[in-house]
Amino acid sequence: MKTLAPFLLLLVSAVPHYGAGEDAGRAASTFFENEVRPILANRCFECHGEKKQKGGLRVDQLAFLKTGGDTGPALVPGKPEESPLIEAVRYGKQDFQMPPKEKLPEKEVAVLEKWVKLGAPWPESNASKVVMMEGGFTPEQRNFWCFQPLSNPLPPKAQGEWALTNIDRFVAAKHAELGFKPSRRADTHELLRRLTFDLHGLPPTEAQLQAFAGEQSPASYERFVDELLASPRYGERWAQHWIDLVRYAESDGYNADEYRPAVWPYRDWVIESLNADKPYDRFVREQLAGDEIEPGNPNVLIATSYLRNPIYEWNQVDVRSQWDIILTDITDTTGELFLGLSFGCARCHNHKFDPILQKDYFRLRAFFAPVQWRDDLKLATDSEKEEHARKQAEWEAATADVRAKLDALLEPMIGKSVARATRRFNDEFQVMMRKEEVERDPLERQLSNLCMRQLTRARRTFDPVKSLKSDADKARYAELSEELKKHEHLKPGPLMEAFVATDVGPQAPPTRFKTRKGEQEVAPGFLTLLEPGDPAIPPVGNSTGRRTALANWITRPDNQLSTRVIVNRVWQYHFGRGLVATSSDFGKLGEPPSHPELLDWLARRFVADGWSLKKLHKAILMSATYQQTSRTSADDPALKSDPGNKYLWRFSPRRLDAEQVRDAMLFTSGELDFTAGGPAVDGNLLRRSVYTIKKRNSQNELLRSLDAPAGFSSTSERQSTTTPTQALFLLNGDWPLNRARKVASRVKSVDEAWNAVLGRPPTAGERSNAAAFLDKRLAGSGWREPSPVERSSEAGAFHEKTEHERLLANNAPKEGDDFTVEAVLRLDSVDAAAGVRTIASRWSGGKDSIEAFGWSLGVTGEKSRFKPRNLIMQLVGEDENSNIGFEIVASNLRIVPGHRHHVVAVVSCSERCVRFSVRDLDDPSEEIQKAEVPHAIRSKLGAGVSGLTLGGLGKRTTNQLWDGLIEALRVVPGDIAEADVSADFRAWKAGPVQWIATAGEGAGWEWNGDGKGAEGGDAFRQAMNDICQVLLNSNEFLYLH
Amino acid sequence: MSCQRFDQPSSRREFLQNAGCGFGAVALSALMQQPLLASAGAGSGSSFKIPQHKPRAKNVIFLFMEGGPSHLDTFDYKPLLNELAGQRLPESFKRPITAMGEANSPLLECKRTWKQRGQSGLWISDWFEHVAAHADDLAVIRSCASSGINHAGGVCSMNTGSVFGGRPSLGSWVSYGLGTENENLPAFVVIKDSEGTVVNGVRNWGAGFMPATYQGVEFNGEGVPIKHLDNPKGVSAQRQREKLDLLGAINSEFDSTRTENTELEARIRGYELAYRMQAEAPQAVDLSKESEATRSLYGMDREETAVFGRNCLLARRLIENGVRFVQLYSGAGSKWDSHAGIEKAHGKLCQSVDKPIAGLLSDLKARGLLEETLVIWGGEFGRTPMSEAGDGRDHNPTGFTMWMAGGGVPGGRTIGSTDELGLYAVEDRLHVHDLHSSILHLLGLDHTKLIYSHKGRPERIDQNEGHVLAKI
Repeated sequence: MKTLAPFLLLLVSAVPHYGAGEDAGRAASTFFENEVRPILANRCFECHGEKKQKGGLRVDQLAFLKTGGDTGPALVPGKPEESPLIEAVRYGKQDFQMPPKEKLPEKEVAVLEKWVKLGAPWPESNASKVVMMEGGFTPEQRNFWCFQPLSNPLPPKAQGEWALTNIDRFVAAKHAELGFKPSRRADTHELLRRLTFDLHGLPPTEAQLQAFAGEQSPASYERFVDELLASPRYGERWAQHWIDLVRYAESDGYNADEYRPAVWPYRDWVIESLNADKPYDRFVREQLAGDEIEPGNPNVLIATSYLRNPIYEWNQVDVRSQWDIILTDITDTTGELFLGLSFGCARCHNHKFDPILQKDYFRLRAFFAPVQWRDDLKLATDSEKEEHARKQAEWEAATADVRAKLDALLEPMIGKSVARATRRFNDEFQVMMRKEEVERDPLERQLSNLCMRQLTRARRTFDPVKSLKSDADKARYAELSEELKKHEHLKPGPLMEAFVATDVGPQAPPTRFKTRKGEQEVAPGFLTLLEPGDPAIPPVGNSTGRRTALANWITRPDNQLSTRVIVNRVWQYHFGRGLVATSSDFGKLGEPPSHPELLDWLARRFVADGWSLKKLHKAILMSATYQQTSRTSADDPALKSDPGNKYLWRFSPRRLDAEQVRDAMLFTSGELDFTAGGPAVDGNLLRRSVYTIKKRNSQNELLRSLDAPAGFSSTSERQSTTTPTQALFLLNGDWPLNRARKVASRVKSVDEAWNAVLGRPPTAGERSNAAAFLDKRLAGSGWREPSPVERSSEAGAFHEKTEHERLLANNAPKEGDDFTVEAVLRLDSVDAAAGVRTIASRWSGGKDSIEAFGWSLGVTGEKSRFKPRNLIMQLVGEDENSNIGFEIVASNLRIVPGHRHHVVAVVSCSERCVRFSVRDLDDPSEEIQKAEVPHAIRSKLGAGVSGLTLGGLGKRTTNQLWDGLIEALRVVPGDIAEADVSADFRAWKAGPVQWIATAGEGAGWEWNGDGKGAEGGDAFRQAMNDICQVLLNSNEFLYLH
Repeated sequence: MSCQRFDQPSSRREFLQNAGCGFGAVALSALMQQPLLASAGAGSGSSFKIPQHKPRAKNVIFLFMEGGPSHLDTFDYKPLLNELAGQRLPESFKRPITAMGEANSPLLECKRTWKQRGQSGLWISDWFEHVAAHADDLAVIRSCASSGINHAGGVCSMNTGSVFGGRPSLGSWVSYGLGTENENLPAFVVIKDSEGTVVNGVRNWGAGFMPATYQGVEFNGEGVPIKHLDNPKGVSAQRQREKLDLLGAINSEFDSTRTENTELEARIRGYELAYRMQAEAPQAVDLSKESEATRSLYGMDREETAVFGRNCLLARRLIENGVRFVQLYSGAGSKWDSHAGIEKAHGKLCQSVDKPIAGLLSDLKARGLLEETLVIWGGEFGRTPMSEAGDGRDHNPTGFTMWMAGGGVPGGRTIGSTDELGLYAVEDRLHVHDLHSSILHLLGLDHTKLIYSHKGRPERIDQNEGHVLAKI
């Protein structure tokens, strides 16, 4: 392997390298100018000159030739045989020939050989002299601002009264230098709104508005800042920024876009870390190396989920490329995220603009080379694991015999299915998989791990019922399963899966990179420019310790990159623009800092304050700079000379981001569900946006339309677009409309509407505009004072176009794949077409994604292919092939309209059947009718996002609404004992989900009506809906000032 | 809008912030999808001028056969395949890594009848009898290659140039470079032939790291063309108009004290554009005035060709109405993916698209639109000469066929070739990056200069790897 130039100290002088006498010098000069330079200029400069540097090589100056390109020095003066330049022009090797198109004439080759032999004399004028330094870096690169150590500036003295804090003194100095005047302080209302959106992602509450209305004192402002920073809402908001940066998502991202059910604890870890003000250095170290720092602590281990964020294709047979892509992704993201450098550019060649060598890219990547994605770890403490193991052992002992019998029956077939999956891999990987773990080298362990995941999947998705052919085997399987089930009570509940990573072992696989001259192997290391040597890295336990070493370097108090990067990011999220505007690219293509001294001062202070983010927030928020108004007049000269507000002469107004808009709409409509943490929910429901499902291929429509990133790569700055399709969605989409209706349902007047949405009463102009709007609407509509919403006299009545269309069971626990629905009901009509009268559901009607999984119990309409009045259960879940399965399970038991019925449906995925029973309570002579109907849905009925709903689907669908009475209904996991099934619902034991109409809604139940039905004919309500919708779409609502 | 600029922008970012006195102007111009070229021409940031040469094509219709159509049974005739059918791939061929690991499975014969067509004598199989009548307009590229061996990577690659998500789609690059000719319609429209989800979902026509302005908008073939285009149920046009007027009034009072923030103005325009789109889009896709002759030309009168025929006709209508880039999916949800039973599966799909595509070509030609409209046919990859499951073929990204017609591309020729079994592209290999570069070239855009700066990297559609196919 060739030694790379980077370690040489090259000082090139203008003195020719050979000859002592002036004559000799002149002769050399003439030879070069007349013979050599024309060849280089004609043949080489086009690709290796000032404009282009193919292979990272320039040949228009001797220093460049000697430093060389991606493959090392191109020329060794005096030694043609060791000079790749000569090797290339000789066309000796097939894959190393220059110029690529055609060999030079022999004469020219000879000239170049002679020239190198002479010591490569290159007379230069002083003007074009280039001084190359260690590693081939130029002084310009070395002196580039972001590589300089943190300076220790003192806040400048400020004139006048404006400056409140040291931050302001830096800002004021720039103002003075450029002749800007700072803007006045924003009014209290603006400041409250700015602070709550900034720190919580929400509008101020009424209580906050009242408490601080009119308060101008610095003390009350400070109190408010402290209050907001102490609230758990703070972590929920700021976690969103971090989630963008680490490209967190809850799905794999390729076609299957498989859901990652165990990744959410990482999101909660981010939120909790921020709320606890975990020092940033610790925050970083846990994510990069939590497994090495505290392997036994689940709250630390989960942070390594950071290493699991790359996209992943579960059925990719080219595992080598897949692993390469994963490591590339981790390396690129880490470089941008923590160091603010576009390392990715240096993967294929030395960075074109920044002093990042291709080798540096792979030195960084080498820290991650030993990473192993683990599927066998649990998020549990040692004692929890012990407890689980103890119970598991009991269960295993008790079931050893029956499991052995099951294995004997199934294992041969499972083996076949696994073998099929194995054969998809080419020979190389099959050989690898056949080896014992100890025989595999570290890379083989990683690659076979990726293969094995696919085999494990084949095993997991094996379906005994479909695979067993003979009736005898089927019966035997049923019998053994039954036997196994008897021990179910001994089996401990599963521990939380740990979606984390560790090292593959104490030995790392080699990190190699290809250049035109072959492969090189590198050890982990930092930027050559800053730390040229290879760091000593002691192993940690069963781990290489590499990531700990990297984390330690990144979190060194004097790391000039990482400290500046984080304070700049915090600044950016507060002001909309960083002191360095390109917050993930501090390099030459990025922007230089607008206030370099302030940046360094903040970074130093941040480290001195124990890497506390909350202290940093507070320092920024207390500044006069932050409290400036955004208002300015159109003729302000600053607006012309600094329209981007780089120099902070006002507050930059900005559109709320996607999550702020969604959360603010829910907050305003009074629906926002503040439940914290846990598995994510669908974005159409009411939790905060940070807790909504982030699937890479199917983002929530609202969030996507407002520029939320999909999570494929690190996002440091959101786009803020305005498109007609976005406007169409906000104007006509169901979700925004429903929020507007909810707001309208809470207000009785125009003033109240303004207060609810904008937190202030309308101005005189607005009031008259709204009044004119109302007048126009109400004129001729015959509208009078609205009467209170009419409630049906019958408890438990469900009717379309009333306030009682559906009943939502908020936060009802999931009933799983085996459950019973029991109800007492009366059907008043069936659908005239093929619609279904839905009794209860956990389904929105979709059939094409895991979010849609669920079930629905109902009665068929007139045109149904299952004949009318048929009691049916619709199921959407996974079938035996892990495909999405949709099935209508029809009982062929009929419901008589107008009669009270007692209905029971027992759904079993483990037995793949639904058992129905129906009894007509108004016809005592009628026997109980029963039916048992098989189906093919195997699992995951509960994986969907719809909540439990009575009288309709999770999403309002008019031809799926119940019409009539549901007096009582309960949903119970598993089967209900025969003796407990009863039409006398007063005797029901209280269960997890139980509705008794006469007892009223109570907590957890919420009626849902048709907003349109509710407004039906009510011109006032209709107009108020429209006013509220307009306000939710107004610039004042959508912008932060 | 008056505008005084004081400094030359030193970066695209600064340009975006400063041009037209604030970000809003760019938001507005982006919103109206004015080409960057035009805004540069207006004298604002000359450093952002996107270099252009004389374009041959103005518009693109991309017919995407999703799932991977077999080149071996359609446009790439390989007599040797039938001679060696049943045998293993000869040892002289390098074993490829294939999705299902079929490198060693016996070769599968092609059951099609092949004929030379037109003056040019292009070989086209009987699965494309109608398209074959246009042989002299087709430039058949037989040496395409992609990096994605699975559908996810393949479809993403054909759309964005990368096997994984996050980059802008070809249509986004085109609308970024050229803008739209009708600001009341999106510049980039996608229509699928069924409810099926195209592999990877909507991100196939996403704008990646570009602003959402450039993302493709999905049109429905029937009913309301764009999601949320219709007023909510029960809301009359009058009521919608009144709402927008109230919104305008409230916004202008608010904005009057913040006139410097032109982004606010852009938002008002956004709602107005949406309102106009509500009026214009349904007209653009209203096929009721098309004659019976036209409908039957596209095969809309027959069940098996009705859907794709309608979509092809919609494509022509959209192009006529100033849409820049239309992408039609056939077999949405990988239906061209024939690992088994290729005869039946492909037979049906070919039938469903053959007449409609031929109709589209005839119609464009008759209306003089073919010259300026580049029609592209293909999928994310082709299929292997080796069989799978006895009567199907595995994915083949190492050599497959796409063809182009119109857009100034001379027809009646083949470009490049695969080996004798159609496994690897051997002559004039055209990687997806090259294909994308060539398409931009035909539209008058230099792929090395159509740059979007993202996180400090000057991004190009081809990730700096593409070359324009000179022969095109």
